Amino acid sequence: MSTATQEPQTVSNAAATNAGKYLTFVLGHESYGISVLKVREIIRLMDITSVPQMPPYVKGVINLRGKVVPIVDLRIKFGLAEAQSSERTCIVVVQVKSPGGALAFMGFIVDGVEEVTNFGGNEVEQTPDFGSKLDTDYILGMAKVRGKVKTLLDIDRLLTSETMERLAQTAQAA
Amino acid sequence: MPEPTSNYLAALAQLAEKVAVELVYATAGRDDGLLPVNSLLAEMEEIGANSPLLSPLPQALARARGIVDVAFERAAFDAAQVEQLRVWVNWMQHALTLAQAGRELPALPAETAATGAAAPAPAPAANASATPAPSGELPPEEALEMNIESDGDLLREFINESGEHLQNIELGVLTLEENPTDADTLNSIFRAFHTFKGGSGFLNLLPMKNLAHELESLLDLARNHKLTVNSGIINVILEGGDTLKKFIAEMNQLISGARPRGPIVVPAQALLAPVRTFLHGPDSAPAPKAPTPASAPAPAAPTVAPAAPAPAPASTPAPKAAAKTESVGIKDAPGAKPGSNAVVKVDTQKLDSLVDLVGEMVIAQSLIAQDRDLGTLQSQKLARNLAQLGRITNELQRTAMSMRMVPIRATFQKMTRLVRDTAAKIGKQAELVMEGEDTELDRTIVEEISDPLIHMVRNSVDHGIETPDVRVAKGKPAAGTVLLRAFHQGGNIVIEIRDDGAGLNKERLVAKAVEKGIIKPTDQLSEKEIFNLIFAPGFSTAAVITDISGRGVGMDVVRKNIDKLRGKIDISSTLGQGSVFTISLPLTLAIIDGLVVSVGSERYILPTLSIRESFRPTQDMLSTVHERGEMVNVRGRLSPLLRLYEHFDVAPESKNPIESIVVVVEADGADRCVQVDRLLGKQEVVIKSLGETFKRNPSLAGGAILGDGRVGLILDVNSLVKLKTGPQAAVSA
Repeated sequence: MSTATQEPQTVSNAAATNAGKYLTFVLGHESYGISVLKVREIIRLMDITSVPQMPPYVKGVINLRGKVVPIVDLRIKFGLAEAQSSERTCIVVVQVKSPGGALAFMGFIVDGVEEVTNFGGNEVEQTPDFGSKLDTDYILGMAKVRGKVKTLLDIDRLLTSETMERLAQTAQAA
Repeated sequence: MPEPTSNYLAALAQLAEKVAVELVYATAGRDDGLLPVNSLLAEMEEIGANSPLLSPLPQALARARGIVDVAFERAAFDAAQVEQLRVWVNWMQHALTLAQAGRELPALPAETAATGAAAPAPAPAANASATPAPSGELPPEEALEMNIESDGDLLREFINESGEHLQNIELGVLTLEENPTDADTLNSIFRAFHTFKGGSGFLNLLPMKNLAHELESLLDLARNHKLTVNSGIINVILEGGDTLKKFIAEMNQLISGARPRGPIVVPAQALLAPVRTFLHGPDSAPAPKAPTPASAPAPAAPTVAPAAPAPAPASTPAPKAAAKTESVGIKDAPGAKPGSNAVVKVDTQKLDSLVDLVGEMVIAQSLIAQDRDLGTLQSQKLARNLAQLGRITNELQRTAMSMRMVPIRATFQKMTRLVRDTAAKIGKQAELVMEGEDTELDRTIVEEISDPLIHMVRNSVDHGIETPDVRVAKGKPAAGTVLLRAFHQGGNIVIEIRDDGAGLNKERLVAKAVEKGIIKPTDQLSEKEIFNLIFAPGFSTAAVITDISGRGVGMDVVRKNIDKLRGKIDISSTLGQGSVFTISLPLTLAIIDGLVVSVGSERYILPTLSIRESFRPTQDMLSTVHERGEMVNVRGRLSPLLRLYEHFDVAPESKNPIESIVVVVEADGADRCVQVDRLLGKQEVVIKSLGETFKRNPSLAGGAILGDGRVGLILDVNSLVKLKTGPQAAVSA
């Protein structure tokens, strides 16, 4: 319900406000981007302590210089096929804002990072309407660069929607 | 009498020069430079420019401050004021140069002395204009408006700092009750109000500025021996501090968004009236007619404060006394400076991140020390250096951990006021004695323990201490004593609240508990169990419910709070002689003693405190109910079995309990046998929050970095013992 009401707003001014610098990375043969201001660091894949009773895309936690940071597998989150980790597989650590306004670190496993690119306003397009099949709540827009399309993600909202999902799960379980 | 040293004259000269520089920016119609000039002049006064040895410098300083005060009223200089100020400051610079050279000070500039006289002592002038007809009704309350957009950071800083000033005021007032003429205390309260005035004036918080201004004037008179401090005045000052506190609290809420934006109105006019009355007595009759305050209508306050002192010290403005305090001022001033620099305020986040990093360094250090490749080198030098590195890291860790520790003093001192107010309100006499205020505790604990302590101290006065006549009849001194004591005991911090009041009445406690249905009349309780009844929710023995205590919502909350801090509370009491409440708390919340266990490839940490025992069960210890609920017979006591691998869905080394280990954990009176693969060892671990993502996972209490740098999960025993175990959970649910 709430996503349906929020979506038009996000979409309408997507092109205007979403220009800027993005870190782009690959998942399978798709390319994604997140605002570079959110990125804290990029680290190689390390041992992840799995946490029981969590949705499958929450891989667990790592120790990032004394901080406990949760790790999400974006492949599972996006419903892509699981892949073997390679040399290029890494964790992008971002600082996200929870709905309560608190800042927290989170990590995402990606198949590999590409580059930091500046997207102008005319390179970013609104998210096309995929119908109800695809949850586009956390997609800021699409960027077209050199003939390729990159999906720009709203990392804060990605976490928010996760929270919602987990809440729904706990509600079901109870 | 000590000669003013050249050092201190140099300091004064330097300040005067700074004032002169600031005055360059001063222009008519603007407030540029006003605030710095004000604080610089105050600083000069503070470090002893008022010494009679430097006469007539004090007069010059007073004139200059007078001008600044008037300018403050209008929030801007006018041309004449700037001109006058320059003359005075120039003279001060000149005079100080001469004084440094050991020569006589010059006479005050004549023509400006005349203009200065036109604007006499600043406070009266300001008051005269601000005071309405004293007999009339109160003027409307002023609303406080803030400009959060532009002043956000300044406001936050102001609020932060004001806490300290307010505390100074409160503590100072309590000292004044004992010793109303204490010059140091009067000065410190004066300074606190003065800083308040400066800050609120700068941020344009008019109602606060006005209130602080009036109170400052009041204290100014008091410290200049023009006004005798009596209980009426003390109460006014205290109320003033409270009103400022209310303003601050409201501002804080508004800034943090806890309340909608809009003007803040806190009733202050009712308070201003008596302040002005106090002020006006001495003003209208400048003759040293000391008893004026006595004629002032002291706001009725049933305080147990020592009776107002005889006006003698004030009516004889003995030059001896004055000279003494002044010289003290000079001596103290230079010494006080370095002391105040000894503390640095640090953002807690920075502190936490330092502690995190030090923890990481210890892990990295141990990884290096245990490195096999390095071990094969067989180098003595390497071994020595590694040992040295180990020592340094350990020392660093200790220091970093101790930085989170703060003395409990501030929390204890809050209680002084509490005991005083509570006792006064209910017509009892009580005195608070403190011991071990310097005992250090983790910051978080100090903050969290404050509320339970307030509650218990209040209870001690309200329920424990008897009324004076009862006490005298029992042969006790009329005033009761509450002893607040903190000390270390075996790795714990113990806080003791001891009163010499009536003590707990066991029969009454039992009767009450039976009446409330908490226990059955047939129950046989030990003394300890009887005392612990007061922690039961909804329990209160006070015959009359006062607004202070007796609603029975208190002690159970107290116990909950203490449990939350992983602490313990014990009561001992002798009827007629008093009670002792003993709270023991861990030194820090950040570290727990944990047992590291493994299930398959996963490792989990169980808090040692909640583990009763662990063993490998035999087949005959196991039994089932309906072939589903599994139980372990632990020496005749049946305890449900929790297969951790099943609960957490991990692959164990063995699913059979008799090939595994069970750890018996208990919490809240319930227990569970937790089946794990192995016990890996005991370890002190630093608890880390797992953050928002895992907040809803009830099985986990947190995370911890283990010796190899990986994260271990700390299990929440409280929720483990409440679990419905095994597959039958799904069936029954």
